[in-house]
Amino acid sequence: MGVPGTRIRPGTPFVYFTAGASLAVRFRKGIRVARIDMTGMTGSEPVEQTFAYAPQNGWRKWLDRAVYGLALGGVLLTMAILLTIFVVLIHGSWLALGRIGWHFFTTQAWNPVPGRDQYGVLAFMYGTGITTLLALVFGVPLSLGVAIFITRLSPRWLAGPVSFLVELLAAIPSIAYGLWGCFVMSPWLQNYLEPAIYAVLRHIKLFPVGKYPSGRIEFFPANLVRGGPSGSDFLAGGLILTIMVLPIITAITRDVLRQFPAELEQGAYGLGATWWQTTRLALGYCRAGIFGAVMLGMARAIGETMAVIMVIGNTDSISASLFAGGQSMSGVLANEFMEADHPIYLSAMFYVALVLMVSSLLTNVSARLLLSRISGGKGTH
Amino acid sequence: MNQTATPTDLSNPFAGRRPGRRWISRGVAALCIISTGLALAVLFVVLSYIGIRGFEYITPAFFTNLPLQSPEGMRNCIIGTVILVMLASVLGVPLGMLCGIYLAEYAGKSLFTHAARLVIDLLAGTPTILLGVIAWQLVVVPMHHQSGWSGALALAFIMVPIIARATEEMLRLVPHPHREASAGLGASQAQTLMLVILPAAKAGIATGIMLAIARVAGETAPLLFTALGNDQAVYDPNQPYPSLTLKIWQYSQSAELSWRHQAWTGVLALVTLVLVFTAAVRFAVRDRK
Repeated sequence: MGVPGTRIRPGTPFVYFTAGASLAVRFRKGIRVARIDMTGMTGSEPVEQTFAYAPQNGWRKWLDRAVYGLALGGVLLTMAILLTIFVVLIHGSWLALGRIGWHFFTTQAWNPVPGRDQYGVLAFMYGTGITTLLALVFGVPLSLGVAIFITRLSPRWLAGPVSFLVELLAAIPSIAYGLWGCFVMSPWLQNYLEPAIYAVLRHIKLFPVGKYPSGRIEFFPANLVRGGPSGSDFLAGGLILTIMVLPIITAITRDVLRQFPAELEQGAYGLGATWWQTTRLALGYCRAGIFGAVMLGMARAIGETMAVIMVIGNTDSISASLFAGGQSMSGVLANEFMEADHPIYLSAMFYVALVLMVSSLLTNVSARLLLSRISGGKGTH
Repeated sequence: MNQTATPTDLSNPFAGRRPGRRWISRGVAALCIISTGLALAVLFVVLSYIGIRGFEYITPAFFTNLPLQSPEGMRNCIIGTVILVMLASVLGVPLGMLCGIYLAEYAGKSLFTHAARLVIDLLAGTPTILLGVIAWQLVVVPMHHQSGWSGALALAFIMVPIIARATEEMLRLVPHPHREASAGLGASQAQTLMLVILPAAKAGIATGIMLAIARVAGETAPLLFTALGNDQAVYDPNQPYPSLTLKIWQYSQSAELSWRHQAWTGVLALVTLVLVFTAAVRFAVRDRK
């Protein structure tokens, strides 16, 4: 086995023997399998390069170069794809960027009729934002509960199956959630859950009625349930997204919680801490990773399309009411991109896509920064 | 310092001053069990609705007929999805594997490596509908009509980062002495890669590829503007392409009851396809001790 920093000269018998033996043993054991699960998350430690390959001549030199060139070319091509995304989106939205500019973010109206041409992303940003927020409000406590159950509560034989089943939630296609949400969850919400919520919350006056300019913008409803049960509203969008972010946040939180050092756990128990006091210590110790998990779940919620448009109601309203219908950025793209028949309309669609790309990018970057802090192997107090 | 005050403060940061902490602990544990139960209940409810509704309306014609034939079916959509995913794999698998090979075997600790890794992560996090928009601009606009190729390209964009990360992780798992032994025998780096490392990691890489396939088989959003869907048994990638997910979406939006029933059966077929694939992968590569 390589001593760190040693160079192996080609053909040295001793190295051949020891390393060869190790090779055989390792082969017999088969390869270990790292975690790649349905949430697409992976994780392992980087390999230390402890030796150098011997210089080669002739065809082997060219083979080396060719393989290296191919691999590098693959990476460059992949980087070019991300660049292409930005180039295409900015190029496509150029017209709208010039004509609409910042008004895009202050206008609620969306009227693509030629001649009228009012385009504002505000309602769609609100729809994406509020459903994502609801998904996190419902999903984060739930996911943390499941992750804590798997890592710190369940008997060993149960942890694996529960992990697998929760990850299975990530494998179900979003169109399946959409169909279920549209034909099962929405009617159920409309007939059972929402009337119950309505009965309680409608008595709580949130904002004084009539003090705000009425019209199409009804951001301040009399209460959180204005409009009454409909089944196709922000609440439905938030609930369906809750199901979709649950497996992601759970899987990453579970992996992060497993990194909580056993000494700290034993120390805490030794000092007389209860199970929950120890668990809180673990949650605090792993908080950067958990925030990263939440951000990744948030990125998933922002980008989700099909499941949301099937339950959110598809109107361009902005309302703080849970029972108001709305539309998300990805939803308006899915519904109207193909109908964009004149240049400024199409350009406004690309503008929506650009805003969506930037929001998802910012969320993803912050998630990766938080998660890379823990994968460096350092504690995160 | 004051010797008399410290012992109680230092010795016990957890106990004392918190009456009922054992009950709080039990309560939180109960909440964790309840949330797990809730998550599993949701999975059970969703899957059983798909199973029951799907089976209720299933007919042999579903697998043998076309959407516009008299007992309507989705034969072309099922075949279309399978071919579309195969086309996407042809484009996405080599590219993803090359990225993974570079990151695991050639990348140092340079700025470029960090950038490449970040790009792959960001590509994995890009909303899939945007990849559809890109494929529309790159393929549909020059061709002037929707096509199978544009759909396959959009799906390939989704596959690349998944396969790249999976390949990288799997190559990292190959024990380092394999590389040392190969170098010790005088092999070049390319020979080591092709004759030692890749064969050792092939099961893991295959897993990653199959998970990526299962993932894109269920995608709808990137195909909306690209593959478009097709009611005929047309499997020429230069034409608008039939796809199971698109057909489900189209039927779910219609008021026609028999079409909605078809949508449920379609979802059952799709979910069965995806879950059987995923579960098979999971059990095929379980960590054997």
